[in-house]
Amino acid sequence: MRRVVVVGSGASGVHFAQTALERGAHVTLVDVGRTAPAPVLPEASFARFKREHADPAGYFLGARFEGVLFPGAKGEYYGFPPHKSYIFAPLDRFRSQARGFDPLTSFARGGLAESWTGGAFPFHESELRDFPLEPRELQASYGTVAGRIGVSGTDDDLSRFTPVHDHLAPSLPLDAHSRVLLERYARERSRLNADLGVWMGRTRAAVRADERDGRHGCTNLGRCLWSCPREALYTPSLTLRALLRHERFTYLSGRFATRVEIDAANRVRKLHVVELATGRSEAIDASDIVLAAGTLASSKLFLDSLRAHGGSAPVLEGLMDNRQVLVPFINLAMLRRRYEPDSYQYHQLALGLEREDPRHYVHGLVTTLKTALVHPIVQSVPLDLKSALWIFRNAHAALGILNVNFHDDRRPECQLALEADREGTRLLARYEPSREEPERMRTALRSVRKALSRLGCIVPPGMAHVRPMGASVHYAGTLPMSAEARPLTTSPGGESHDVRGLYFADGSTFPFLPAKNLTFTLMANAERIARRWCDAQA
Amino acid sequence: MAERVELERECDVLARYLGASAGDEYVRAQYRAAHDAGVVELPGTSSFERTVVAVARHVPVLSRPLDAHARVFAPSSLLRRKLVLLLAILEVRAPHDEELDTPTGSSVLAMFARMAWLGLVFLAALFLGSLLSLPIWLISLAGGAR
Ligand SMILES: Cc1cc2nc3c(=O)[nH]c(=O)nc-3n(C[C@H](O)[C@H](O)[C@H](O)COP(=O)(O)OP(=O)(O)OC[C@H]3O[C@@H](n4cnc5c(N)ncnc54)[C@H](O)[C@@H]3O)c2cc1C
Ligand code: SF4
Repeated sequence: MRRVVVVGSGASGVHFAQTALERGAHVTLVDVGRTAPAPVLPEASFARFKREHADPAGYFLGARFEGVLFPGAKGEYYGFPPHKSYIFAPLDRFRSQARGFDPLTSFARGGLAESWTGGAFPFHESELRDFPLEPRELQASYGTVAGRIGVSGTDDDLSRFTPVHDHLAPSLPLDAHSRVLLERYARERSRLNADLGVWMGRTRAAVRADERDGRHGCTNLGRCLWSCPREALYTPSLTLRALLRHERFTYLSGRFATRVEIDAANRVRKLHVVELATGRSEAIDASDIVLAAGTLASSKLFLDSLRAHGGSAPVLEGLMDNRQVLVPFINLAMLRRRYEPDSYQYHQLALGLEREDPRHYVHGLVTTLKTALVHPIVQSVPLDLKSALWIFRNAHAALGILNVNFHDDRRPECQLALEADREGTRLLARYEPSREEPERMRTALRSVRKALSRLGCIVPPGMAHVRPMGASVHYAGTLPMSAEARPLTTSPGGESHDVRGLYFADGSTFPFLPAKNLTFTLMANAERIARRWCDAQA
Repeated sequence: MAERVELERECDVLARYLGASAGDEYVRAQYRAAHDAGVVELPGTSSFERTVVAVARHVPVLSRPLDAHARVFAPSSLLRRKLVLLLAILEVRAPHDEELDTPTGSSVLAMFARMAWLGLVFLAALFLGSLLSLPIWLISLAGGAR
């Protein structure tokens, strides 16, 4: 079978590559591919780590104390682990500027999902209405990807929104706080469903309890935020590691793809790359190129390619991202209890808000506070630090955050464009929230507050935090799949309608963005596009 | 050298204020390292802020009123930055993580009573901190704190 060149080793790229390899293709993967530091004390729990590591402050706070969230600093409720800074470190060659949007990009092996929180929620049929494909096709890919990465979950009340797929492994054991919430939900269930349209259940997460493919099962070390040292929590670099053993796989890391060369017949010919260590340019012959560099980087590559080909680059409309609102809560039943350091750290429950139009479903992730650095939270209590600490230590086990996600549509005012100057080109991102957004958030948050109150929780007034656009890092929509061969769209098989042989296998192809975290669908869609591509070759 | 001794003393005083046992050489070393790295005292820090810290260091009982005052009127000031830094160091270091983050074991009623009490203490501390700010300001004008 033919050779295909893939750009990017993130969630999208590796699953395209894996399917293509499994079906007999030769795959060359071009990637910037910055690497992660080696895991430290891999068997130690969070608490043991603090006892046994010779320099815990160096590890948790960083050599320059960059992990300390000082008062007034830009940040949220947690400080980001310093050893993960390689994931978000900017690259001089990728220049961008944004308005109304706070974009994050990654040039790491495995991409942004090296730091994800593992939420793996399949889209519902109604949410796929704008996708020009049979939902069955994607459902098969959900099963395939779940078998590869390990997705745990339960067939419960939330299955009405997040369908059950093949290879769904049993959920992890619940932490005490999540158990209390779920028990309370069971008692209040009918009222919550009928009065508020609120449903609750176990989350779906890419974490496995069993040992497989050289990865260990989750043993509740509570170090998920600091990168699971047992590899129980899936990250794309694990797939990349497996691909590297494949004889038909070539990995070209340390390369930045600058553009695709297009011939007079509008077909791809070469991929131009720069070797970052030497600055040397090279061109890789290719008749099929798959851009899976993440929506922003793939879009920029596309625009740079069109500009080099025809002298100007169009504007890509329809940039989407999920608005997220963080709602902190205190569960009165958990006050004065000892928090559970030895438990899975991320969300174990999810919450769904039914809407009249099922595409407007609102999705919530319930994370109870266990292991985390607490100084960002303690300093936010409106008291002196000593009093704040006393309250915090008695309330730690009772604290949680509900991350409420809203859907997004493709709108012309949300765009990506290219600006050229003497140094090269720069990606310009512009985002404007829809006019309905404030009302949509208000009504949803009202229901959420009432639901939390019925679950025995209080929401401290004024503490809900509307995250800026871009913060959810669920970017999509700039080159949507379309059954009609319209310019600046892609075919249902991910091929550009403008340039033959050029494929997109990341979020840029999504015609709609439901409220659910999209990465599981990114992987499934990339797997599906690879299958179609292989079938076409055959 | 004198500066190092002052910093260590400050670290011990503030650690005790937060409820941790003082005298941990590792904590002191980290506290010093953060100051050496230049992440604590930012450009633009006023002599008033430095004087507040100096007073808290030399008169430990005043740490709370000065902290309460800073929380309301200058949440990003030098004293608050130092306290937050120290809290961050203590929370990643055993046994201080346990010292600072274990429930106190009181009944629910006692807990809410204590919370109400803490609210009153805070108000009193805030009042005292506000009274203190005038003389501290005068000292800072006179160049009392380095
Ligand atoms: C803190 C955090 C938590 C998250 N949690 C969740 C969650 O729970 N659930 C969920 O669904 N999503 C989550 N996400 C979002 C998720 O991480 C992203 O949606 C996903 O990683 C996107 O994958 P991608 O492969 O499309 O692109 P990316 O992850 O951006 O990967 C891009 C890849 O392309 C390479 N690359 C880029 N440009 C070039 C170039 N020009 N040349 C060569 N290589 C290039 C990079 O090196 C990288 O390997 C989270 C994100 C963050 C930051
Ligand atoms: S709790 Fe988190 S860090 Fe620990 S094994 Fe499980 S997934 Fe990994």
